[in-house]
Amino acid sequence: MSAPTTGASVTPRPDTAPRPVRRSRRRWFGWAALAAVVVWLHILAIQGTGFEPQLLVDGWKGMADFLAQSFPPDLNWDKTIKPGLDATLITLWIGLLGTTFSVPTALLLAVFGARTTSPAGWTYQLARAILSFFRAVPDIVFALIFVTAVGLGPFPGVLALICHNTGVMGKLWAEAMEETDGGPQEALRSAGANRLQQVANATLPMVVPQFVGLLLYRFDVNVRSSLVLGLVGAGGIGLLINQSIKTFRFDAMLTHILIVLVLIIVVDQLSAFVRRRLAA
Amino acid sequence: MNRPLLDVTSLAKSFGGRKVLDGVDFSVSPGELVAFLGANGSGKSTTLRCVMGITEADAGTIKLGGQDLGLLQGKSLQQARRRAAMIFQKIHLVPRRTALENVCTGALARMSTGRSLSPLFFPDDILQEAMDCLDRVGLADRAHDRVSRLSGGQQQRVAVARALCQRADVVLADEPVSALDPHAAEQVMQLLAGLAHEHGLAVAAVLHQPDLALRHADRAIGLLGGRLVFDSPVSSLGAADLDHLYAPDRMAAA
Ligand SMILES: Nc1ncnc2c1ncn2[C@@H]1O[C@H](COP(=O)(O)OP(=O)(O)OP(=O)(O)O)[C@@H](O)[C@H]1O
Ligand SMILES: [Mg+2]
Repeated sequence: MSAPTTGASVTPRPDTAPRPVRRSRRRWFGWAALAAVVVWLHILAIQGTGFEPQLLVDGWKGMADFLAQSFPPDLNWDKTIKPGLDATLITLWIGLLGTTFSVPTALLLAVFGARTTSPAGWTYQLARAILSFFRAVPDIVFALIFVTAVGLGPFPGVLALICHNTGVMGKLWAEAMEETDGGPQEALRSAGANRLQQVANATLPMVVPQFVGLLLYRFDVNVRSSLVLGLVGAGGIGLLINQSIKTFRFDAMLTHILIVLVLIIVVDQLSAFVRRRLAA
Repeated sequence: MNRPLLDVTSLAKSFGGRKVLDGVDFSVSPGELVAFLGANGSGKSTTLRCVMGITEADAGTIKLGGQDLGLLQGKSLQQARRRAAMIFQKIHLVPRRTALENVCTGALARMSTGRSLSPLFFPDDILQEAMDCLDRVGLADRAHDRVSRLSGGQQQRVAVARALCQRADVVLADEPVSALDPHAAEQVMQLLAGLAHEHGLAVAAVLHQPDLALRHADRAIGLLGGRLVFDSPVSSLGAADLDHLYAPDRMAAA
């Protein structure tokens, strides 16, 4: 600061400063206790999961047989590759709709579930509770529930992803809004704008890059989730992998896994590309 | 002197039992630029924030354009408050939006909620008014540039235009030039002085550089530990006054 400093005294004032307190020993004890707890938790976890590397070493032959049977991958166009590609497209569509159709619900719950934008305390608590619920229930459970309503197929998969993704993306978006600079919102409030106007004209435009980044990240995750949903009957390439294992067509399984690999890489690269463009 | 547009008496505020403002009285009339001076923590920002209603004062009366804000409630209180606009050190514009879109948001209180949800729906007359405001701060040619592409000084001028678009006749600025280089600071100070002297607004600005106050302001108000220690025309301000005012900063530096 440029306050005038004429005649400033620079003598130290040793008598007025409070004495420092050494805290290092107490802190060391805290770290040691924490480390002990973490080690103890790992012992419990190893026992609880039957984590025994010896079993893997002993059983390597079974695994090698399995892998040997799947080589070389089955490259028959009509029987394996074409159905694989068709199913992969379904998987992609499930992931896409599961992501985009959850945007309105996630946005609504995010605005109500962020401390800085929620209109009242109870709306914040309610939105947070709803988000927690949708996040806590795995998409597979949602899928099984929707199958009982609409039958097997991709549609219950889409519904399941919409539900679960609303919970996850809503929470991530709410946190992005809470972390963003609140200055512009305060400026609009002091100019007499109402809460909705503040959110629409300050908070949301401030977080657009973060929102799109998180949306792409969730798309990436949801495409992979829809693979797993396929395993429980929601169609797509996951279903084909499941069928090829059940019918012992391990070479076809390998082909399908390779197609999935390509799909995952393409989606990953695509979302990385969009995010780069957005940041620039 | 005209009747003051902003008249504050016995303003008091404590944070956690610590008195931060202790009976502050001051007024700002149309056509004058008043500088608030004081050491770090003397209560300058808190004073402005209490007037704006960003921080709630514990006691005191605030009259804006003759209306006692303490007697108003709800809609009429909001309406009365709109006469005052705030300029921030950190500018607080939305960087991704254009200068024009940012200026329009000063008029949000006059728009219906539906039309204010996106700049796409902003009414034409408000766009035109915002353009006029940008013209007044000399930035009409940058109206359609994103704010992030403007310099700090230009951004602060856009913030001033936003205050104008709010149709405020009282402008409170908290260290409007502390983040700017000397040239930009000079420009923004000239702009604020012009609003007071040529357009008859009542302008109060917290300044950290007494020399800026001496050059641009008409009157200086000194705060020390939450109390008003002087309120006088800058011409009668002496080195001893400033010495006394910034004593806490020197103590901290010593
Ligand atoms: N929200 C708050 N909670 C607690 N204390 C606060 C709060 N805001 C301000 N204070 C305290 O009030 C005192 C005055 O603060 P204020 O920001 O008004 O000072 P200032 O004169 O603007 O200082 P500076 O020159 O550093 O900006 C300071 O001691 C500060 O710590
Ligand atoms: Mg301050």
